[in-house]
Amino acid sequence: MSKWLRASAVLTLVALAMMVWSVLRPTPLPVMLAMSFGQAVGTAAFGIYGWVVLADLRRIRRDAKRAQELGLAEPAAEAAADIEPAAAEAAATKPPEPGS
Amino acid sequence: MHLDAFAVIALAGAVASALILIWYLVARPQLNRVTKLALLLGIGVFPLTTAGSGNYAGFEATKHREFCGSCHVMTPYLDDATDPKSTGLAAIHTRNAQFGKESCYTCHADYGMFGTVVTKMGGMRHVYHYLMTYRKKSLAEAKAEIHIREPFRSSTCRRCHTTTAPKWSEVGDHAALLKELRAGEVGCVGEGCHGPAHPWSKQP
Repeated sequence: MSKWLRASAVLTLVALAMMVWSVLRPTPLPVMLAMSFGQAVGTAAFGIYGWVVLADLRRIRRDAKRAQELGLAEPAAEAAADIEPAAAEAAATKPPEPGS
Repeated sequence: MHLDAFAVIALAGAVASALILIWYLVARPQLNRVTKLALLLGIGVFPLTTAGSGNYAGFEATKHREFCGSCHVMTPYLDDATDPKSTGLAAIHTRNAQFGKESCYTCHADYGMFGTVVTKMGGMRHVYHYLMTYRKKSLAEAKAEIHIREPFRSSTCRRCHTTTAPKWSEVGDHAALLKELRAGEVGCVGEGCHGPAHPWSKQP
């Protein structure tokens, strides 16, 4: 997840750079680049962010449902979210223990 | 360099967004609620503000005479229009405060509900022709080839010269051609009575 968010942040910075260039130097090339390529890159970045948010919400909901099925107390959403990105990725890729 | 309000808003949004994103990329904070909210601002809210106001500033910039004259083959048109001694129609109208810095756009923009969109699409065609044809040509070569795509419509002139003022009607040719002028069958400039708007471009 954090890998995708970093990619989204970098793409956003690229799109912003093009937009700032077109505002500071409004000649045909910068303006056209900002309004075509810049818009596409910025939209892609925002799309990635939206996808990450949706995936995160689904993960939280899935964890809550699983906890309910196991009869455990429902984990607080904040606690589920307040984890290191690396730990979250490791937890997501960890195979389930046998019998669980 | 003049920055209007929309340009300032675009730049402010870009700076705010960049600060958040650089902080996120460098500090690599925990992905908690605060970080998510910051990213919503940095990837969503501020860039959308920048895109909206930046696009508007860009569209406004494309109306400026300097923008039109920034391709080298348009330099003589720009020079003539801003020459205080020029007696061409383009120069006379450029000296009119109503046309201001947008004298090229004011006369060459299409009229009507979709006029702005049609004009911008026409501008894209100009850029295409410049990149594919005129970019490597000298001014002399380009001058011989550049021409207006369609006859200049009298409706553009009639946005200001409404054909209803008594002084306008006193001119015999105006009165005689009133019906044809209003129907767009007769032009004012170009092949019309008032000649080319950029007369220097028609001289050998």
